[in-house]
Amino acid sequence: MKRRRSLFIHLSYIRILAKKFAIVILFLSAFVLMLLNKTESLIIEKTSSLATDVVSPMVDVLVIPARSVAGVYDYFRELKNVHKDNQQLREENQKLLALYDKARVLEVENKLLSGLLNYVPPPAAEFMTARIIAEEGDAFSHSVIAYTGNSNRVKKGQVVLSERGVVGRVDKVGQMYSKIILITDINSRIPVMVERTRVRGILAGDNTSMPKMIFIPLDAELEAGDRIVTSGVAGVFPSGLPIGKVVSVDKNSVKIKPYNNLERLEYVRIVDYGLDGIIQNEANGK
Amino acid sequence: MQDDVAENIKTYLQRIMPLLFSVFLIMLSYVPLDFPLANNIRPAVGMVCVYYWIIHRPDLFNLVSVYLLGLFEDVLSAVPLGTNIFTLLILYILLLNLARFFNGKPFIVTWYGFAILSFVAFFAKWLMLSIYYGQFLPSALAFFSYLFSVAAYPVLSLMNAFVQNYLIQDEV
Repeated sequence: MKRRRSLFIHLSYIRILAKKFAIVILFLSAFVLMLLNKTESLIIEKTSSLATDVVSPMVDVLVIPARSVAGVYDYFRELKNVHKDNQQLREENQKLLALYDKARVLEVENKLLSGLLNYVPPPAAEFMTARIIAEEGDAFSHSVIAYTGNSNRVKKGQVVLSERGVVGRVDKVGQMYSKIILITDINSRIPVMVERTRVRGILAGDNTSMPKMIFIPLDAELEAGDRIVTSGVAGVFPSGLPIGKVVSVDKNSVKIKPYNNLERLEYVRIVDYGLDGIIQNEANGK
Repeated sequence: MQDDVAENIKTYLQRIMPLLFSVFLIMLSYVPLDFPLANNIRPAVGMVCVYYWIIHRPDLFNLVSVYLLGLFEDVLSAVPLGTNIFTLLILYILLLNLARFFNGKPFIVTWYGFAILSFVAFFAKWLMLSIYYGQFLPSALAFFSYLFSVAAYPVLSLMNAFVQNYLIQDEV
């Protein structure tokens, strides 16, 4: 009887102690998770991708009704601008037709000259369209989750494009869903150049809607309105993909406004250019 | 016998209802919306849910629930794993002593309480991530997110109140 009583006292003491330290233990586990995340270990990478795969279908179920509600709002909002948009599109079409003719002439000329120089073209890119099912964008991160289906063509580091240019890169690849880091996210670093002057730099996201261009030579010529495209350095992104334009040039920072409206992505294209670059090297390293 | 099993399942579901509903609200907050600026003005749903349930039904929303909710948000989000767990645990610790004070108080007092406590949690998250990345995150944007979360509190707490009043019995 006495033994049972002392055992009971022991157990309740352990329980109180466990309760007391539970918070500390859970806090520590949060820190450990963050540290493991910082090391970018393969286990965390795989677990995270698996977890995204488990959680994403639940969000996917909610997308259709939510989009329908948003669609009604969009319909009425766009109805107001139909006439103005039509006018703009007609004018744009005229300009594009003229450009199309020029492009065809240049294409033929390019083929002829390439043949003369024995130029070996880069491998053709493979596209895959993916639907956005979840998005996030605040002071802490900018990302989207895309439904990629049961495809094994999606790989970490691949370029993600929208109709107007680069929107980000694939960060985590699951069986059915992939997480995409947007160019505005603080983790995003893309080698870019100014199209007009070919000045190179790095486009660095800072969780604001306008990322900045860093590591630019001191004597670089930059103006507001300059087009920024990928430079192809490091071999992850091919060169010449449009990203945005310069909106402000200060002593401390050059701000870039992305061409794409990153807040309204519905479908994106994940592109495999057959460039392995840093990603392949990292994999080999591991 | 069958009635007992059904009753047990019902009771169990009611016990985990706050966590399930919080998860549902978080998922809803990640659904892409085509409204202008929708992607930049999302409330911190996790914080609102933790605050609401710990004040109103602490018996149904314990430390493990807080941890699981944070983990769920971490998986959905692109922030480093552990960030939202850390933030929600901060809020939990703050609430440990203050929950009794806010319970049964007029709505405006609990709203005011959320404004104060969530500010600390937001600041902790901002500081933690700034240390993690080795650079300060945009403070204005973080403050804007905080203000929007405070503004969204009445609507979100109303949704939680609906679940509390209609889907959960008083004595579960």
